[in-house]
Amino acid sequence: MAEEGFFDDSWLDLQRKYWETWSQMSRQAMGLEGDEGKLTNPWESAVDNWWKALSPAVSDSSRTFMDKLMEQGKVFFRFGEAFATGARDDAYASDGMAFWTQALEDIRQRFSGSLDGGDNVMQQIMSFWEMPLDNWQRMMSSMSPMPGDALRNMPHEHLNRVLSAPGLGYTREEQSQYQELIRAAIDYQQALQEYSGFYARLGVKSVERMGSYIQGVIDSGKSIDSARSLYDHWVMSCEAVYAEEVATPEYAKIHGHLVNAQMALKRRMAVMVDENLGALNMPSRSELRTLQDRLQETRRENKQLRHTLQALEKQVAALAATVPTTLPPTIKAAAPSAKAQVRKKAAAKTTRTD
Amino acid sequence: MIPIDIRPDKLAQEMLDYSRKLGQGMENLLNAQTIDTGVSPKHAVYSEDKLVLYRYDTPEGATAEPVPLLIVYALVNRPYMTDIQEDRSTIKGLLATGQDVYLIDWGYPDQADRAITLDDYINGYLDRCVDHILDAHGIEKINLLGICQGGAFGLMYTAMHQDKVKNLVTMVTPVDFKTPDNLLSAWVQNVDIDLAVDTMGNIPGELLNWTFLSLKPFSLTGQKYVNMVDLLDDPDKVKNFLRMEKWIFDSPDQAGETFRQFIKDFYQRNGFINGGVMLGGQAVDLKRITCPVLNIYAMQDHLVPPDASKALKDLTESQDYTELAFPGGHIGIYVSGKAQKEVTPAIGKWLNEHSV
Repeated sequence: MAEEGFFDDSWLDLQRKYWETWSQMSRQAMGLEGDEGKLTNPWESAVDNWWKALSPAVSDSSRTFMDKLMEQGKVFFRFGEAFATGARDDAYASDGMAFWTQALEDIRQRFSGSLDGGDNVMQQIMSFWEMPLDNWQRMMSSMSPMPGDALRNMPHEHLNRVLSAPGLGYTREEQSQYQELIRAAIDYQQALQEYSGFYARLGVKSVERMGSYIQGVIDSGKSIDSARSLYDHWVMSCEAVYAEEVATPEYAKIHGHLVNAQMALKRRMAVMVDENLGALNMPSRSELRTLQDRLQETRRENKQLRHTLQALEKQVAALAATVPTTLPPTIKAAAPSAKAQVRKKAAAKTTRTD
Repeated sequence: MIPIDIRPDKLAQEMLDYSRKLGQGMENLLNAQTIDTGVSPKHAVYSEDKLVLYRYDTPEGATAEPVPLLIVYALVNRPYMTDIQEDRSTIKGLLATGQDVYLIDWGYPDQADRAITLDDYINGYLDRCVDHILDAHGIEKINLLGICQGGAFGLMYTAMHQDKVKNLVTMVTPVDFKTPDNLLSAWVQNVDIDLAVDTMGNIPGELLNWTFLSLKPFSLTGQKYVNMVDLLDDPDKVKNFLRMEKWIFDSPDQAGETFRQFIKDFYQRNGFINGGVMLGGQAVDLKRITCPVLNIYAMQDHLVPPDASKALKDLTESQDYTELAFPGGHIGIYVSGKAQKEVTPAIGKWLNEHSV
């Protein structure tokens, strides 16, 4: 029912055809049949098109959820496809451990800068480790008018030259502010590089960890026969390595530097925005904060006073409830004072006059 | 034997299955237009600024215990986690044990709330909620249940207002903020909190989400969605998953001044252990807590490690201290089926025994 409603058959047919052809190509690549060639996976574009057509009808929360399902589905299948038997045209395809060892070496070379480009498998492995960095970029984008990666590839050399020039003349202060802003931006970029560099190192360690796992599979005489199983073990290896490394003082420093550098940069921006607001005779953020502080102090005092007043009212009411309505017998028995007698007489007189 | 032996036809089948489940899930998602959270009937009894104090309706035919229970949730995330769905509700379980349940919803602070301090929360809002309940019931003491950061609030409140608290329950509450396995604490040591608060005013919920997701980034932002595809053909499971997703990403911003003090005093200075926490000019000393204490922690808690909670044992002057270890995680302690059977009834039983 659901298939009929939401999947048109042509899409599933397209995938079937793709996989049939793909299987055929794989057999050819393994020397079982003739010609070989490269195909582009239509699954991703098909699923994207399908989703574009249907997503307007879905609520925001469900849309976000489905986006994630498909995004991760792509990661999962790209990974499986890269490792599928016969998918690769090199000699390592038939030996998972040899392939993995080669993958590890490729990654090492990639990070040392001696290997340009790289094949598809390397990209799948590397891109997976961009996930934490991507999370940071997305989070920063959501909090900033600038894209999260706006400063990622900012050139240093030219900026350093700008910063080395002293401010001159009437706009000296303004120049100085821009220089501070740029210094903060450079510091943030360096922090971001440290952060991404840390993850790159973890990527290598994860490959090593996965290699150990595969060695265990070899020793046990079993094999990993599904993309899902491969993906799950890759996640497990990455998570295990990550948990060890982010608990180190080194990471705490890198993390602290990243957050602090980002905050320092935003602070510089806020100072400059405030300057411009002042120039336009508009209230600045710092002025509003002063008012917020004063207002909160006043409200705090008001609330405390009201609370105290209510407590006092209760006490008064409680006291009033305990005051006897008739005088105690000892007072009644006492002789009335001279003043009281005078009042009594006066009252009696009045009553009489009336 | 080839260690990685994924045959193309099998991979193709996996992909087709995945696609089919996505399609089936689509229908379930379209049917799940609104994600309802907070299932037990309740009504607002007091409000102040953005805070609302709710009282839950006593189930029909039940008699509420004479000492009401006030639940204090964390400022981080939303309190409907305690009542997230019909069969996974801590509140429902507590009502079933006869508790007269109140809950504070702190609301969503905005920049106008930036200057609200920890003192305002504890000795202001929380104290006035307690006073409201005491007045409404004509009693002198209530039971207090603090969850996570709300547990730290409960500890501070009880230390400063012991005369108003009959029993204190703390759930997954950080007490020792510097245990070796506390990743959050390790990460925040090098963060300049003053700079962050001075810059941002309030601390955005997105920043907190990023921090929490960074504890297990591959599982929490990747693998769980792949796993979810297997459940997509079940409408109830889809709804349950979406409820949790809603809750996870429903993170209020944190009032700047409160965040500043909480992180510096506790995560950086470990204030419950080392002392030095001041609220409204008065020192917070856990030794002033003398009432019975039930301290519940989760053994697989990656946010508040068990040792962080268990540190409470020797810090109060309570002569009646009980610990309850739950075999699960930080969230599972409210929402798992096991928690509904083990944790909530245990809290109710303990409260009933101590409220006589």
